[in-house]
Amino acid sequence: MASHGHTIDIFSEPRRFDRAGPGALIAALIGVAALAAGFVMKPGGADLRQFMNSYLLAYLFVLSISLGCLFFVLIQHVVAAGWSVVVRRLAEQIAGAMPLLALLVIPIVVFRTELYPWLNPTDEMKHLVEHKRPYLNDTFFIIRIAAYFAVWTLLSRGFLSASLRQDASGDAAITTRLRTLAAPSLILYGVTVSFAAVDFMKALSPMWFSTIFGVYWFAGCVLSGVGFLALVAMWVQGRGQLTRAITKEHYHDLGKLMFAFVVFWTYIAFSQYMLIWYANIPEETRWYLVRQSGDWWKVSLVLLLGHFCIPFVLFISRHPKRSKATLFVFAVWVLLMHWLDLFYLTRPPEAPEPLLAGSAGGIPLHLLDALCIIGVGGLFWAWVASALARHSLVPERDPWLKESLAFENY
Amino acid sequence: MASIVHDRDNTLERPGQRAPLVTGGHDLHGVTEVVCRVAESRTAPAAWYLTMGVSAALLAALGAMIGYLFFEGVGVWGLNNPVGWGFDITNFVFWVGIGHAGTLISAILYLFRQKWRTGINRFAEAMTIFAVMCAGLFPGIHIGRVWLAFYLFPLPNQMAMWPNFRSPLLWDVFAVGTYFTVSLLFWYMGLIPDLATLRDRAKSKLSAFLYGLFSMGWTGSARHWHRYERAYLILAALSTPLVLSVHSVVSFDFATSVLPGWHTTIFPPYFVAGAIFSGFAMVVMLAIPCRALFGLKDLITLRHLDNMNKVILATGLMVGYAYTTEFFVAWYSGSAWELFAFKARAMGPWWWSYWIMFSCNVFVPQIFWFRWARTNIPVMLVVSMLVNVGMWFERFVIIVTSLSTDFLPSAWDTYWPTWVEAWTMAGSFGLFFFMFGLFCKFLPMVAISEVKAVLPHDAHAPAAGGHGH
Repeated sequence: MASHGHTIDIFSEPRRFDRAGPGALIAALIGVAALAAGFVMKPGGADLRQFMNSYLLAYLFVLSISLGCLFFVLIQHVVAAGWSVVVRRLAEQIAGAMPLLALLVIPIVVFRTELYPWLNPTDEMKHLVEHKRPYLNDTFFIIRIAAYFAVWTLLSRGFLSASLRQDASGDAAITTRLRTLAAPSLILYGVTVSFAAVDFMKALSPMWFSTIFGVYWFAGCVLSGVGFLALVAMWVQGRGQLTRAITKEHYHDLGKLMFAFVVFWTYIAFSQYMLIWYANIPEETRWYLVRQSGDWWKVSLVLLLGHFCIPFVLFISRHPKRSKATLFVFAVWVLLMHWLDLFYLTRPPEAPEPLLAGSAGGIPLHLLDALCIIGVGGLFWAWVASALARHSLVPERDPWLKESLAFENY
Repeated sequence: MASIVHDRDNTLERPGQRAPLVTGGHDLHGVTEVVCRVAESRTAPAAWYLTMGVSAALLAALGAMIGYLFFEGVGVWGLNNPVGWGFDITNFVFWVGIGHAGTLISAILYLFRQKWRTGINRFAEAMTIFAVMCAGLFPGIHIGRVWLAFYLFPLPNQMAMWPNFRSPLLWDVFAVGTYFTVSLLFWYMGLIPDLATLRDRAKSKLSAFLYGLFSMGWTGSARHWHRYERAYLILAALSTPLVLSVHSVVSFDFATSVLPGWHTTIFPPYFVAGAIFSGFAMVVMLAIPCRALFGLKDLITLRHLDNMNKVILATGLMVGYAYTTEFFVAWYSGSAWELFAFKARAMGPWWWSYWIMFSCNVFVPQIFWFRWARTNIPVMLVVSMLVNVGMWFERFVIIVTSLSTDFLPSAWDTYWPTWVEAWTMAGSFGLFFFMFGLFCKFLPMVAISEVKAVLPHDAHAPAAGGHGH
């Protein structure tokens, strides 16, 4: 039970960085430098296509984190959660990076022909792509991407700015209004995230289809979003802020959510795999055949072990979720696995034939993958860190805050 | 305490202050009184006798229909080739789905610290058990040669005919069997402290003996409570995967096939969402008469109903998402068969069942966006009934439309149930309501000890006229 005996006073708590450290600027500079170096120099004899493959991977990784935090914010509002208020501002700020992500999607739109085979179909896929033309066409693709970012920016910035307004006014009506708005927002969120999964990832294999695919990406988004949120909370506390407000009780709950979404991801991934394996219809198995041929079976196996078995066994117990050190490992681990999951979703070749013939070489990890994640990640961190520095790190006059401060697991 | 006639509106929550989950200013003793009075009263409301009478008659009809089926064979049903599954499996999936709300309330809402679950978990769990009993009936009787029903189980026999472990039908036996066992254990274990309360208050020797027997020597000592809480947590953790796994496995019965309309990867989560959807509708449908007839309006408050209606709205939207995704991907796949199957559902000979399904499950619950609808008893009664109709038709649409028009037009056939199937289905409702009626009258319908834990703090002090604990 939550006990109200030893609630701290939030206004005596360090909850605001005195000044933006140089970290954000450095991160931004490194980010730009890494992206520029990758794009201009194209190390290792890479071409634009390789750069875009790496860029897409890094971009989707950061986008999932931001979208995961957006979901976190929305769901906390819709259920009027009390426990999470002390970390909600951090999630709001991570989700609030959406304008930057809208900017960073431009290269994907500009160089879309390098990425998406349906824009330049092979003879084999021509017939199907022609059928899908009402959806998979250039104009509609751009309209959809614009629509996703309009929705995501509106939602993330809207919820963030309302929360900031409450810092100033303490108006409890804002909480009521956000709760009302969160429900329809979740519908918009669900629809956009599902179709974005089709456009960004499923359309890489335009002959393939799976109804569960949107849910699959959603599971990864929430997992990585909560994992990153836990890391940011640790970082904030490491810099002397919110040291008493965020307790191991909150970390424990974040750990539980991570664990739940590790399992949920597995459930969705298993459902998709098992049903396709069982029915064994060539037009569906093609996608998995690629991922089990050549060296790709190793990636699949690492995902099975690393995205499910290992964290399931290690983090099912209460203790590793309540210790910051082990929770840190858990969060870093799920982020790594989510990156690998995206690699597995986006990078394998479209057609299995070269792999089956043994002529496709190993797993195409590239130096550019590192440069792009440093680049996109650096810019993303620069945004988040400087946004965190500008405002209070906690919704300090949220009516549910006192419940969050007094929160204890039982 | 007088019986409660009025609804007190506790659905509005001021930010920063949780609304009360028990209304009417009951103290601890008052809660015990309200719940136990039902079981201790020597009479019952007239509506209860009426319900029991009707459901007993339907139950008798069920027995007669099953006897007739066993005597004559499955030819008395309207099944044919290719429609080898009709009302039987539709009813099976429908009843399994109903059960899911109970498990979700007991397990998942428990892990999410949703304290309002305490008012409704007991009878939702009871509902789960009776629904799974109804469900289990249908696979058992639909197999044709009933004397070989034991083939369902992985028993070795002298003919060395082992069941096919790769068959989802066998997984079903495991999934539903586990589900029933864990649900029964969970429900019964939760009942023990309350059975002991009834034992301690019993006036007649017989009820003292029976409640005493089933309360297994519960004394309410600290050690008992400690073990009880531990076991409760473990059972909740065991039940959590069951909420997802049971209906996922049921969906595999269809989705592992290559039949258009059956084989689609979203089936597992879609079935789970639909199950929770229909289950909550059934809980609302049962809660409304129970709280009115047995004076439980202070414990199963408008707030509980409001919350359940929100769950119905949310899961209804998920089901709508699945319907739409299926349609989109049927087209997007470029598979002529898939697209044909979905067009046939919406515009073929069964179009009316498809649109009953779609309207009841997707359109009707949208009224719950409005608070007045979520707190209006007649509205929610109608919506919950329509949702159950819609979810029954969902299974009917999936099973019958896909089977009746498969890959070979020359093999197509239609399906129409016989009177035997119709009465068997009605009889399963008889079984369900008969069991539920017995439960309402003789067992504590609300978890007394759990509700006491969510009373407002000041209620712990004995109020005037109360006896404290």
